[in-house]
Parts: sequence; C-alpha cells; structure tokens
Amino acid sequence: MSQRNERSKHAALNSATHWLIHQAAHRAPETLSSRLEEEWLADLESRSTALSALRFAVGCCWASLVIVNEYPRGRVPAASPVAAGSAGGPASGFFTPTERNFRYFSLRSATLFLIAGLHAALFYGLITTLSHTPSIAVPPRLQNQPVAPVPRAKDLPPVAGPDLKDWTIHVPKPVIDVPKMDIDVDVPGEPTDKPNEVISEPGLPPVTKSHLVQRLAGGPGTGFPETAEFYPSHSIRLAEEGISTVQVCVDTRGRLTTEPTTVKGSGIERLDEAALKLARAGSGHYRATTEDGQPVNSCYAFGVRFQLRK
Amino acid sequence: MGKKETRVRMSLQTLRVLEAFLENPTEQLAGAEVHQRCGIASGTLYPILLRLESAGWFVSQWESIDPSSAGRPRRRLYRLTSTGLRHASEVFASFNRGVLA
Repeated sequence: MSQRNERSKHAALNSATHWLIHQAAHRAPETLSSRLEEEWLADLESRSTALSALRFAVGCCWASLVIVNEYPRGRVPAASPVAAGSAGGPASGFFTPTERNFRYFSLRSATLFLIAGLHAALFYGLITTLSHTPSIAVPPRLQNQPVAPVPRAKDLPPVAGPDLKDWTIHVPKPVIDVPKMDIDVDVPGEPTDKPNEVISEPGLPPVTKSHLVQRLAGGPGTGFPETAEFYPSHSIRLAEEGISTVQVCVDTRGRLTTEPTTVKGSGIERLDEAALKLARAGSGHYRATTEDGQPVNSCYAFGVRFQLRK
Repeated sequence: MGKKETRVRMSLQTLRVLEAFLENPTEQLAGAEVHQRCGIASGTLYPILLRLESAGWFVSQWESIDPSSAGRPRRRLYRLTSTGLRHASEVFASFNRGVLA
C-alpha cells in the first residue's frame, strides 16, 4: 500500500517535473525551444531524487526567463550542431549579444539616470524649499517727498457747534462762617511810646516785646499701639533692629490728617514699613500739639525703636 | 556579418564554469556534469553556457549515441574553443596581476 503511494507520488512528481521543463522550454525562443527541452530532459536523468529533479525543473523555468531576456524573440536563429572535434568558431547562427547588450545597457542606463534624477530633484528640493534661510529685514529707503502744507488755523473752516461765547457760568458766592478766634500774632511793629515798649540798648536795633507762645509738641498718646505688636516676624528671626523716624500730621483730636511718611529710615525696609503701619494704627491715639494749652493741627516726627529683648 | 562580440560579462558563476572546463580543456561536458563539478543551479548554469557559446568561447553538439540502445536521451556536450581557452586563460591570469580582464 505504501509502495503504491510512493510510486504514485514519484510518478506525480516526475510528470510535474517534465511538465515544468516542457513549459520552460516552450517559453524560450523558438529556435532554442526544442534543443533546450531535449538538453534539459537529458540532464534531468542525472538527478537521483525526485525533489532534486523538481528543483532542476524549477531552475530551468528561471533559466528560460533569463534566456528570453537575453535573446529576444525573432533575433535568435536556430542553433546548428557543430561537429565534434571541429576547430571552428562558435556555434554558427547564434545571436550576437552586441545589440542585446546595448539594449540592456540602455535600459539599465535609463534606470540609472532616472534614479540619479530623482536624487538630484530631492537634493534640490531640500536646498531650496525645505531649507530655512533666515530672511534679512531690509529697512525701506528714506525718501524725501513733498508734503502738502497744513492749513493754518485761520484758514480752517469754522467748526459747526454751539457758540461758547454765549455761555456764562454763575457761581454762587460761598458764605463761610469763620469762627472767631483769639489769635496772637507776633507782628513786629514800629517802636512807640507805649508802656510795653522795651528800650533797646544804644547801638542795638530796637527790640519789640513779643508774645511767646508755649507750644508743646505732640506725640504718641495713651492707647497708642505697642511697637512689639508690629515687629516683623522675619526681622525677629533675623535679629534685625533699628530706629525708624516717622512724620505724622495730626489734628486736634489726635487723628492723622495725612498719610504718615518715613523721615529717616532704619536701613531695613521691613522695619520702616512696620513703623508706618504702627503710625497708621495709632491714629486717634496721638497727643495733639498744644499752643498755649490749646490743641492745634500740627505735623511732627517721632522715632519708632525696634529692639529685641536680650 | 561583422566581427562577433567575444566579450563576456564575468561573474563568479561564470568563472566557476570556466574553471570546470579549464581542468581539461579538451574534455566535453554536459550541463549535468558542470552542475556536479560547480554546484551551480540550473537556472544560472544554462544561461551562462548559452552566453559563452554565443560569445564563441564554447561550442556544443549532441552526444553521438543511440538513445534507444543507451536507454537514455542524448546529452548536449560543451567544449572550450581555442578562442575561449585563450580568453579564459587571460581572465584567470589577470587574477595573478590583480586585474580582472
């Protein structure tokens, strides 16, 4: 049973091999077809195994393709056998490969030129299109062009609109109630014979008797915030100390009338800022400056000392 | 008829075929024997044989046997010509000079 199968397989392979060789020879140029078929079938006999024979047949198919390519149809005369032992030239009537080589070379050259052209085009594209060349900004050339003269004001046409001359603004005269105040003003006057006149010594200019105003400068009063409350924590960690002098303007009730300013800094910006905060927070707790015992609006400076306890 | 083009494009397989024939230049070899000596596949071997024959390096003829009595088909035998022998010798001699002819 197995031998039958082997035989049938062998027969199938054998027939396939012969069929392939026949097809390959048939595909070859007509003048070589019969010769090649007979030659290949004769050489096939030397193949020992069926697989080897099959490989040989497949190779013959490839060989016929190469031969067809090298020997175009109609250009190959029949190969005539040469007598054995004859010292003559090659088998007469075979196609001279000069033209074939030329065609083949031409085809190959065309392909080569095509590839070279594609590379050149790609290279040109890379250089011109894809490459980035920084553009140089060229400023426009300065040109002196005559400019039309601007019409003067008197030449301008009148502007349509309301006549401003007719407008009259009536402002009511304000009535201000000025409280009567007893203000002593030190005005130097001419020497008179009045009792309060002071006779100056000879040679010295005459001195008039002036009224001395007792002025008591203000300052932080009762309820003024503690400096420690405004000591910056960062300054405490860095052990920063200093005195910041702040000027404040205070009314009669001890309230700030203007924003306090730093007159002399401590050298540390944080402490100066803290001093200003302290001055603002103390509004309403300032002691007003008094003149002859009367509180007056005034501006004065005081120092804020930031000092850590040892 | 102009002069026949005798130049052949040399390849490693062509050189191996020529080498097989140069072992005994007068010997006639069939394609199957060249295959056994060189180990070149049939798809490459037969175009080379035809190419060298076209160039005048080889001549070929049918084996002079009676197929019926021999019990096998006649083979096509190839043999180096004098031209082929001279060219093949020059090719291999050029290897000694470091130049391929």
